[in-house]
Amino acid sequence: MGVLSKIINWSRLKSPWVLHFNTGACNACDIEIVAALTPRYDLERFGVQLKATPRHADILLCSGPVTRQVKDRLCRIYEQMPEPKFVVAVGTCACSGGIFSGCYNIKGGIDMVIPVSAYIPGCPASPKALMDGIVKLLKSLEEK
Amino acid sequence: MSEEFRVPIGPQHPALKEPASFSIALKGEKIIGVDVRLGYNHRGIEKACEERTYVQDVYLVERICGICSHAHSTCFVQAVEEIAQIEVPKRALYIRTLIAELERIHSHLLWLGVAAHEIGFDTLLMFTWRDREIVMDILAELTGNRVNYGINAIGGVRRDIGKDKAPEILKKMDVLEDRTKYYIEVATQETTVVNRLSGVGKITKDVALKLGAVGPTARASGIARDVRKYDPYAAYGELSFDLITDDHNDVYGRTIVRVKELMQSYKMIRQILKDMPDGPIAVKAPRKIPAGEAVSRYEAPRGELMHYVKANGGDKPDRVKVRTPTLANIQAVKMMLREMYLADVPIIVAAIDPCFSCTDRLIEIKDLDKKDAQVIDWQSLRKYSIDWYRDRGIDFKK
Amino acid sequence: MMAAEEDIKQKISDRFPFLQEKITVKRKRRIFLDVNMEHFKEVLQFAIKDLNFTFLCTIAGLDEMDKFSLMYQLDDGSGIMLNIRTSISREDPVLDSITPIFPNADIYEREMVDLFGIKVKGLPKGERYPLPDDWPAGQYPLRKDWKSEILDKKEII
Repeated sequence: MGVLSKIINWSRLKSPWVLHFNTGACNACDIEIVAALTPRYDLERFGVQLKATPRHADILLCSGPVTRQVKDRLCRIYEQMPEPKFVVAVGTCACSGGIFSGCYNIKGGIDMVIPVSAYIPGCPASPKALMDGIVKLLKSLEEK
Repeated sequence: MSEEFRVPIGPQHPALKEPASFSIALKGEKIIGVDVRLGYNHRGIEKACEERTYVQDVYLVERICGICSHAHSTCFVQAVEEIAQIEVPKRALYIRTLIAELERIHSHLLWLGVAAHEIGFDTLLMFTWRDREIVMDILAELTGNRVNYGINAIGGVRRDIGKDKAPEILKKMDVLEDRTKYYIEVATQETTVVNRLSGVGKITKDVALKLGAVGPTARASGIARDVRKYDPYAAYGELSFDLITDDHNDVYGRTIVRVKELMQSYKMIRQILKDMPDGPIAVKAPRKIPAGEAVSRYEAPRGELMHYVKANGGDKPDRVKVRTPTLANIQAVKMMLREMYLADVPIIVAAIDPCFSCTDRLIEIKDLDKKDAQVIDWQSLRKYSIDWYRDRGIDFKK
Repeated sequence: MMAAEEDIKQKISDRFPFLQEKITVKRKRRIFLDVNMEHFKEVLQFAIKDLNFTFLCTIAGLDEMDKFSLMYQLDDGSGIMLNIRTSISREDPVLDSITPIFPNADIYEREMVDLFGIKVKGLPKGERYPLPDDWPAGQYPLRKDWKSEILDKKEII
């Protein structure tokens, strides 16, 4: 890996910028994501910052199963993210459609629409599981 | 003469296939009309309920909403128990009520934080969500999960509450009560907060009634309705608590109602722990539910929740109809937004405590004078709102 | 014990003697009433004006295979719930909107349109609910003979 890539990788590892997108779920995972940023868990001390635009995001945190309405927007958001980009499916619904699998307005998990780099199961995924998942993802980047 | 109307545009493409959730028509600076497009989270749960057994449905309905999951599962089992004429043991009713009030506390604290975030008062978000963790700990300790507690079964509850848990819970109620007194102070005495929330999103009592508003939203317009009082369920018939109303008719009133309801919840939890009867926690329920129908009502943190269930003698329900409190309140929001400024939109919508994730909503703004329309995202609207108020002297960062 | 509920039942029976057998007080605070569409409006007006059922909680639709049933669920402010059930033909389901009386009926009637394919006359202009714009026409999910497999076969991805 070249010097430039090493620097970019290092800065991404030290301070991943994260975009959170809810594809139409019950909100439990979304709340746990926000809770992970509050003092008890404080994701920010790992350098994780929540960004508002896909163009600045390294990691897309996706919660919820993919509904018919949201499919296109999810694709568009993914397209707007600069390479290299990573998608984390947060919660069982994002991983596989979860309990809503088979419901008529649900297409399935996030990986039905965009490639997923990490799966964090749980209903909802607890803040601790979230931190664990993100750290594991960052570690795997380090190894590359 | 209306000044140059410029609203920051979000990062998304204006010509998206997905419809904007709110379509706002502006004349000058004031909102004249609002259209709301729902169904964003429509998953097809009612149909799925018909295709799954009653037991499976208890877990499915729990996940209709990740904030009031117990509300849905309790409302559902109540309807089924009524059809099957199952008499649920008293102890189970008390346990259901305990979890219900704990859920109300976490939900109202969550709401306080979200509302604070919408007006740019992030310190309050951090405080309330830190306090909320106390409740999440209790819920996880009692039920095994922070959310989606899975405590209900048709015929009772699945887990008992050990007597040793009570002292710890009582101690935590004391802490929370103290903290909530501080939040009441902030809400009623901090001029920045009072100014920001007063006169915003007003609807009078008769309009609120006509539009079918429920919960704290309705109670803030003086409507004295709370399902726990007028159609008691679980153990509420035996508890002593106040029905909180306010007559400000606005977002400020909706805030006051919720913080005062928190105090009532602490009071109720103490009673529940003191008076919880001994006995079994469940009775056996049949797999097939005899033909019949029932309407179950529940006072969720957001307001009256209704489940209508029709059984046909099989092991799957014939029909399950869910009417969430948000659906009832969203119709009132259109009225609340009239004559308000664009900058008031985030807090007015947030004040009904909507059961959909606000952060990914798109808003279409139609300027009737300029005859143009723009689509922005919620984050941009919130930022615009906070900046707009900061320019007028209301700044929470000071 | 159920004086208020029995009183309401009596008042309805007195005013509409043909409904006497069709009213059930299921339990405290729950009254169920079956009326055919011909008399529905009259009964609804009576319930609102004379019995104080001025709050519309919701409208529930049911597919009963030989007909569609509609349950109008009203509340009188004291916690008593009146469920007025009426029905319409399944082959040509048409309903009159009650939004002139209850503006909040709007969203519940739209659910009927989307999920059952019921036509609601007089429904004000507005966005559909709850299905997305690209939902294939003629597909009504809450009908008993509709299965999601039908949708998958019709979908062009």
